[in-house]
Amino acid sequence: MPPRASKRKSAPPNSSSVTSSDGRSVSNKAKTKGMDKIDRLFNTYANSSLGVIDPEGIEALCSDLGVDYTDVRILMLAWKLKAEKQGYFTQDEWQTGLKALGVDSLTKLKKALPELEKEVEEPSNYEDFYIYAFQYCLTEEKQKSVDIESICELLNLVLGVQFRPQVDSLVEYLKVQNDYKVINADQWINFLRFCKEISFPDLENYDATQAWPLILDNFVEWMREKQS
Amino acid sequence: MSNQKKRNFQIEAFKHRVVVDPKYAEKTWSVLEHAIHEIYNHNASGLSFEELYRNAYNMVLHKFGEKLYSGLVTTMTAHLKEISKSIEAAQGGLFLEELNRKWNDHNKALQMIRDILMYMDRTYIPNAHKTPVHELGLNLWRDNVIHSSKIQSRLLSMLLELVHKERTGEVIDRGLMRNIIKMLMDLGSSVYQEDFEKPFLEVSAEFYMGESQKFIECCDCGDYLKKAEIRLNEEIERVTHYLDVKSEVKITNVVEKEMIASHMMRLVHMENSGLVNMLLDDKYEDLGRMYNLFRRVPNGLSTIRDVMTSHLREIGKQLVTDAEKLKDPVEFVQRLLDEKDKYDNIISQAFCNDKMFQNALNSSFEYFINLNNRSPEFISLFVDDKLRKGLKGVGEEEVEIILDKVMMLFRYLQEKDVFEKYYKQHLAKRLLSGKTVSDEAERSLIVKLKTECGYQFTSKLEGMFTDMKTSQDTMQGFYASHLELTDGPTLVVQVLTTGSWPTQPSITCNLPAEMSALCEKFRSYYLGTHTGRRLSWQTNMGTADIKATFGKGQKHELNVSTYQMCVLMLFNNADRLSYKEIEQATGIPTSDLKRCLQSMACVKGKNVLRKEPMSKDIGEEDALFVNDKFTSKFYKVKIGTVVAQKETEPEKLETRQRVEEDRKPQIEAAIVRIMKSRRVLDHNNIIAEVTKQLQSRFLANPTEIKKRIESLIERDFLERDNNDRKLYRYLA
Repeated sequence: MPPRASKRKSAPPNSSSVTSSDGRSVSNKAKTKGMDKIDRLFNTYANSSLGVIDPEGIEALCSDLGVDYTDVRILMLAWKLKAEKQGYFTQDEWQTGLKALGVDSLTKLKKALPELEKEVEEPSNYEDFYIYAFQYCLTEEKQKSVDIESICELLNLVLGVQFRPQVDSLVEYLKVQNDYKVINADQWINFLRFCKEISFPDLENYDATQAWPLILDNFVEWMREKQS
Repeated sequence: MSNQKKRNFQIEAFKHRVVVDPKYAEKTWSVLEHAIHEIYNHNASGLSFEELYRNAYNMVLHKFGEKLYSGLVTTMTAHLKEISKSIEAAQGGLFLEELNRKWNDHNKALQMIRDILMYMDRTYIPNAHKTPVHELGLNLWRDNVIHSSKIQSRLLSMLLELVHKERTGEVIDRGLMRNIIKMLMDLGSSVYQEDFEKPFLEVSAEFYMGESQKFIECCDCGDYLKKAEIRLNEEIERVTHYLDVKSEVKITNVVEKEMIASHMMRLVHMENSGLVNMLLDDKYEDLGRMYNLFRRVPNGLSTIRDVMTSHLREIGKQLVTDAEKLKDPVEFVQRLLDEKDKYDNIISQAFCNDKMFQNALNSSFEYFINLNNRSPEFISLFVDDKLRKGLKGVGEEEVEIILDKVMMLFRYLQEKDVFEKYYKQHLAKRLLSGKTVSDEAERSLIVKLKTECGYQFTSKLEGMFTDMKTSQDTMQGFYASHLELTDGPTLVVQVLTTGSWPTQPSITCNLPAEMSALCEKFRSYYLGTHTGRRLSWQTNMGTADIKATFGKGQKHELNVSTYQMCVLMLFNNADRLSYKEIEQATGIPTSDLKRCLQSMACVKGKNVLRKEPMSKDIGEEDALFVNDKFTSKFYKVKIGTVVAQKETEPEKLETRQRVEEDRKPQIEAAIVRIMKSRRVLDHNNIIAEVTKQLQSRFLANPTEIKKRIESLIERDFLERDNNDRKLYRYLA
């Protein structure tokens, strides 16, 4: 993701945490100072022996931010940081992420959250975020699918706001069906497409002969039976 | 009078005087006119051709052609008018005769007149663009005789009346008709058409409309068609005898339309005598007639074909869903073959081997055979029956015929892989029990299957035959190297290669000591020459021959299964054994043990064992004894064969499951093959291509194909296109 220029109008002119879009810092000294602040913030939460922010640290961060551990905004933050491992932020990820957000303190981070939300919701980012959310759950090496329970929670978290009725029905279905015990990436991405393209709850424009994954064919059949 | 000028003497040539006589033309013409009169009055013999010709010649030469011509017209017309009157005067039947006679006279006269006036015909007439004499003669006849008001309609109605008479069975003067018709034809095709043909066709249409209505009310289909055929032939004959040959197709169209096309559906669907009844009763002649008649009308053959197809499908459907008939698979398949034979005969005898009908037959069979999903199994059972006993004593050629017919049914199957599975099972049983009637017949069928389905289909089957042969050689080698064993029990081992034979769970039981020792010796012998292999005894598939002596000294040789042998051998050491003891000693699984004991204790004629209590079923508390009172007419008694039977419900389910499992990799292989060559393909096309590729083995289910695609996506063989969700891309 290309670094975005911060839209903050209230940024103090001599704050060296602002980087312009072409990456030039205001002044070298100011830059190092800004980086220091970011690093110091990092160290506040990091596990000193591991050198990364671990789940405990993240929990602490969350409570400081006044955000629930399971809040979707933390997931968004992870996305912005391009965090690779669920529950952990490395120093690099932290630095790059916070710089991209244009924040170097807790207060600024807190204020940046609503903007981050908007950023994620932009159509060009949303799909990317959505896919990221799935991959973030692949905790084991070579893991390709996520169990149904977690998927249901994830759907709620990620799509719940925008597609409440679809998510509710889908989650209900996933829990009662037993064809699939896990969901893979292909099925995951098609859930989003389904929500975006198919009219709900009438499902009028759904065509099972098209290339929808079988799990959605079965879901639609289940819905139609329920409705009749 | 010559006004001779006085000249110096001149010898004048003797010449005709140049006549500038104004009356010359008049005179000459009257000579000719007179001649024409005489000709028409049959007095031509007194005339001099040369003189008349000369006169006509002179008239033309002296520029009196016009007068000659118009004179001719006038004279001839006058004569024709008189002739007309005399014809009109004729009564009844003599009318046509008179007309005919006068026509002949006119032609003769015309001929003579034309000859006389030939010079005019050749010079004046072309120059003045007048109608030539002969043609003129015909036209005048037409206008003055044929088209005279009194004659025209009378002529037509007489002609039509004669035709009608003939149609109702009377004999008419065909020669006269021919002449009259020919006269009309000579007068010009438009005369023939307007003055005869058109009305003739109209009247005929009415006639046949009425006739067909009458027939259809009182005749059954076969009779009606006979009548229609007769009428059709009659009309064709009529044309050859006295009509213009071009009329044939027109009149036959009329008959076809009125007698066949208008009543086509009613005929075909006629109760008790329609097409379906003809098919059921093999009425070749009637069917052939229908075919020949219907092929003349539009949609005739397709109508027959459609009715035949829906009838066949109906019968076929009844056949394959009739629970009664399905009880005996061999009977069932024989019925199918009989039905096919019946229709093959109908198509060859009555329908001229018409290819479209053959196709309709094939598509109908394909339709209903696949309605019953046990068809593949039943066809295999039929083959099994034939190869076990049905073909005993049958000549080689007949065997080929029967096998070819079976192959025909096989081709109709959609689920050929299910057939393959059953065939393998049944073949295994046949081979292992040595129950095949003809090795050649077996191999012949394998070759046919190979030709039909390719090498892969039959490679495993051929492997089974190879194993049998190899085992024979192995046994020879075994006994050759173990000469000390020739006195003991004879062991025959068939070593089966796991991949080629139908998979069986390998269950062992406890063999009697003599046997197990022998088996061990074999095992070490075999593994000695084939290191790295693993042998597992399939005790549920073997047989044994044992000699037994009963209470009263009666000796018999018993042919039993391996399980049965294990049980019987126990009685060498005990007189009474409880069920539980037997179970423990032999280790045979419960349901097999019960079946085994039942066959030896509860079946009349095979009851080498006695059971207490004497109930029909084997209970776990039962006790068993040797039946000392056992008798049999035969020395060799066969107990319990391993015959291929119709599967039980759970077995059926299992086989089907296995077939479904086997299909998955085949579908995947097809998908990968297709995507590898196409690189990018959309969903619907993939489904279509895969289905086509697998068609020769089974009908692929689109949902199953979709599942396989998703599985391949998960395993990174394929991916979906980012922009167009319906496209798949091959990942190298």
